[in-house]
Order: sequence, then structure tokens, then C-alpha cells
Amino acid sequence: MNAIYTIAKREIFSFFVSPIAYVVLTVWLLFFGVVFYVLALVFAQQPGAQTNLLTAFFGGTTLFYLPLLVFAPVITMRLLAEERSSGTIEALLTAPVSEVSVVLGKYLAALTFWMVLWLPTLSYVWLVARTTENAVDWGAIGATYLGLFLVGTFYMGVGLFMSAAARNQIVAAMLTFLVLGGLFVLGLVGYANVGDEWRSIFEYLGLWTQMSAFAKGIVDTRYVVYDLSIAVLSVTLSVRVLQADRGV
Amino acid sequence: MIEVENLTKKYGDRTAVNDINFAVKKGEVIGFLGPNGAGKSTTLRMLTGYLTPSAGRIRVGGVDAVKDPIAARRFIGYMPESVPLYREMRVEEYLRYRARLKGVPRGQVKQRVNASLELATITDVRYRIIGQLSKGYRSRVGLADALVADPPVLVLDEPTAGLDPNQIRQVRDLIRGMAGEKTVLLSTHILPEVESTCGRVLIINKGHLVGEGTPGSLRGSRSGGHMLVVEARGSREQLSNTLSIVSGVRRIADTAALDDGLVRFRLEVESESIAEAVSSAVAAAGCKLRELHREQTSLEDVFATLTTADHAEESTIEPLAAAGSAAPSTEAQPGSPGDRA
Repeated sequence: MNAIYTIAKREIFSFFVSPIAYVVLTVWLLFFGVVFYVLALVFAQQPGAQTNLLTAFFGGTTLFYLPLLVFAPVITMRLLAEERSSGTIEALLTAPVSEVSVVLGKYLAALTFWMVLWLPTLSYVWLVARTTENAVDWGAIGATYLGLFLVGTFYMGVGLFMSAAARNQIVAAMLTFLVLGGLFVLGLVGYANVGDEWRSIFEYLGLWTQMSAFAKGIVDTRYVVYDLSIAVLSVTLSVRVLQADRGV
Repeated sequence: MIEVENLTKKYGDRTAVNDINFAVKKGEVIGFLGPNGAGKSTTLRMLTGYLTPSAGRIRVGGVDAVKDPIAARRFIGYMPESVPLYREMRVEEYLRYRARLKGVPRGQVKQRVNASLELATITDVRYRIIGQLSKGYRSRVGLADALVADPPVLVLDEPTAGLDPNQIRQVRDLIRGMAGEKTVLLSTHILPEVESTCGRVLIINKGHLVGEGTPGSLRGSRSGGHMLVVEARGSREQLSNTLSIVSGVRRIADTAALDDGLVRFRLEVESESIAEAVSSAVAAAGCKLRELHREQTSLEDVFATLTTADHAEESTIEPLAAAGSAAPSTEAQPGSPGDRA
């Protein structure tokens, strides 16, 4: 437990001394700021709109997922690939810590950074709550942030595993993008005329409808199970990769 | 402190380490010697629990390092060959992180970090960023890392690589100073390093252990006795007759005529102390002595013979200690793993 915390702390530290963290944070804030601004403009022009501004922001548009597909690989690419290519993994795994601690420490660090990225969006919630009466459904906000966390466990998990599998950071990032982007496109297939059954499967696999459900305040347990299974699978496989490296 | 039995590591068809046995007692400083690619680093990596052996047993401080690598690692401070470090961290930050990772209690971290900075003589760069340090400093940060949790066993893979002569001397003094207190296993291919720091040497070649002993015993075993070299001016026969009757001279190993009427003899003698008798005999025969010295087989020669000979088995080195019997049974164990957890 102690080792997991120590490893996670160092990982977050080294993320914030590198320029990556600031580039990601800046671009992220700019992008979501613009999206929020545009959506707010649209909603201001149609007072009796069916959906709520925050629901639309967190799950109503494609714009929400697109940046995540790019940022998730950037956040996760270093995690294990850098340790393995620079050889620091040897120092790490000759200290009295297990592969499980190492992988969980890294995963925890990535998830923490993921949640830190969403912190500024709380100001949007505050803005909406201040300017419009009864516009904020606090239950839905809770569900939204739970949904964001769950998407994080999925995306960071895939990125973690790719970072374990590929020794090269760029390769790790590309593979993560390929998997997440592929799943996202799969969700889009739902819009083609494939029949309702297939459509719901594709949307489920692609996480396409996850955020729109959570943003409305619907905590769909199928997604909880899906996200957490991917997270557990990724962590397990990453541990196996490190063990295979050691010849276990 | 360390017991290794039938240790083997295979990568596919290639056998990097082949059936190695040895034991290291508490407080010993052991040199692990061999040419590049002999299997030194692979062996050390198995000892430190980084690689899992294909076969064989390793016990560190009484703990089975294959079955319970994490418990075994608590006994060991390891400095890997390439000294991998996080380049973006400052020296002190890094050592604090490593101390916490190795289970040093929060309250003792500061004191342990200061002590290891001091021992590795890098206190002056404690606030510098590791990536900006020279290679010599970086390798000493690696050494400080190995020392930071104050482990009973140190495993150092080529600890003086990249250091300047002064730093090399400091590191050797440091290692020598730890003899008796800590068990040190260091690998190197620099022979003077072994002579000056190690009480015992293990020579490894192509994955096999080909020699074991103190630097002195290894040297003695190769030369087949004591040798004296005599250079004098005079006729070869006359000198030859004179020298062969000096008491204590077993035989004249070889002679060579040098330029300028000088002759060189190599004598196999019972003891080096007859050098004076040899000197007076040459003088008595009316010849002029130019040089008289003891011939010492250098560790280089031993190393070269052991690691280039095809039939290492023929070596006259004392038989390798059987791993089981060499294990000291009454050995005290300083600091059980639980203490620092």
C-alpha cells in the first residue's frame, strides 16, 4: 500500500515537472472552454430547450469524446514504457516492491491526473448554477463525475497496458489511440442502419452512450461493469508483462 | 549471507549462466570477475530478484530469493550496471523517494539520505537535477541509492565505471571500509580493483564459474611456485652452472641471451628469500648482476588463462567450495526484514 502511494506520488511529480502536463492542461482548458461557450450560446438562444446545458456539455456531443481520444494516450504513454526503455524499471523492481504495486501506483497516478483535468469543469457547473435558477440537478452532477471517473478507469487502463506492452512511448500512444479511436468509431457505426440490436451493442462497446446516460443522472450498471472489467483486465495484463520481462 | 546453488539462466537456446555455485559469508567483500558478456550482470540480477532463474536456488539472509523475491530484496542494496535514474528529479528528492520505496520509516528518511549522500561524497550536488550531472556523479547517486536503506548486503555492478581516478579511489576506500560490517558483492573487469578491495574472487566465463579464491591464492596457483628473474653479464654456461648449485634453486626454467652480453635466467626456487644467495653467487663467479627480481604472476595472467583457455577444468585452482557445506550455519542476521517494514 505504502509502495503504491510512493510510486504514484513520484509519477505525478514527474508529470508536473515535464512540459507535457502543462501543454495538456492548457489545450484541454481551451478546448472545453470553447465547447462550453458555444453550447452556452446555443442554449441562450433557445430558452425552453429540452435538455440542460450541463447534460449537453458532458455527453450530448461528439466534441466531448474527440479530445479524450488524443489526451488519454498522451497521459498514459510514459507510464511503463519510459521505465522500461530507460532501464529504471530495474531499480524499481529490485526495491522490495511487487509488480502489482508498481502497476497500481502508475495507474493511480494516471487516474489522479485524469480527474485533475476535470476539476476546472466544476467552475462551469458553478457558473450555470449561479446564472440560471434550478438549472443544476445535483444528483445528475454526481452521476456525471462518477461517469467521468469510470471513463477514466477504462481509458487510463487501456493506455496503461499499451504502455506496458510497447517499450516505445510513441508506439504506446499510437496503440492506445488506435484502440480507443477504434471503439469510438464502432460507436458511430450505431448511426448506420444496422438494426437496433447491433446498434445498442456498438454503442455499449464504444462508450458512445455512457456519458450521455450518466450526464442525465442515469447510473447504468452495465457501464460500471464494462469499465471496471477493462480496468482490472488492463492492470492484470500489465502485471503479466512486467513479470514476463523478469522471466517469471 | 548469500548462498547460490546450481544457478542457471537460459534465454531460449542460449545459456547465460550455467550451474553456478557459491556462498558469501557475512562481512565478506567478494569480487565477481569476468570478461564482458560472461554472465556477471545476469547473475547479479538473479541475486537481486530482478530476473528469475531458469533453475537453481538463491538464498539471501536465509530467505529464498526465488520464492520470495520481495523479502530477499529487503536485505540488498543494488546498484545496476547502467545506473538507471530518473533524470528529471533532484538528487535528494530521488534518494528520499528510494528510501521510502525501500521501506525506510518516514522519520528516518532525512537522516538516511544525509548519511548516504555523505558516504557517496555527493552532498555538494544534493539539490542538482540528476539529468544535468556528469557520469561520475550519476554513478555515485546510484551508489548512494544502494546505501540509502542501510542494507546488510550490497550488490554493485561495476561500481567504478565512469569515475575518474580520484573518485575510483574514494569508492574503493568506501567499499574496503564496509568490509566486516556489510556483505559486498561487486562485479568488475578491472583487475586492480579486485586486488585492492576484495577478500575473495569468483571468476566467471561463458556462464561458468572457472575460478575461486583469494587474489593471492589465485596468483600462487598459476605460477607453480616462486620464480626469480636474474639478469647478469657473463657467459651463459658459467652463470648457468653457478646458479644451478645455489641451494634452494630447483631448476632453471629458461634462459635467454640479451643484447650487450647480458643473459637472463628464470629460476624456480623454493623460497624467494634465497635472492640474496643468488646475488652473492653471481658476484662470486665474477659476473656483474644487473637485475634480480621476484616474478609475480599477476591476476591479469590468471584471468587471461582462466577466461581464454578452452579447458578451464584443467586449472589448478583450489576446488570450488561445495555450496551446501560452505554455508555458515551460525551466521547472525542483522535486521530481519520485518524491522524496516
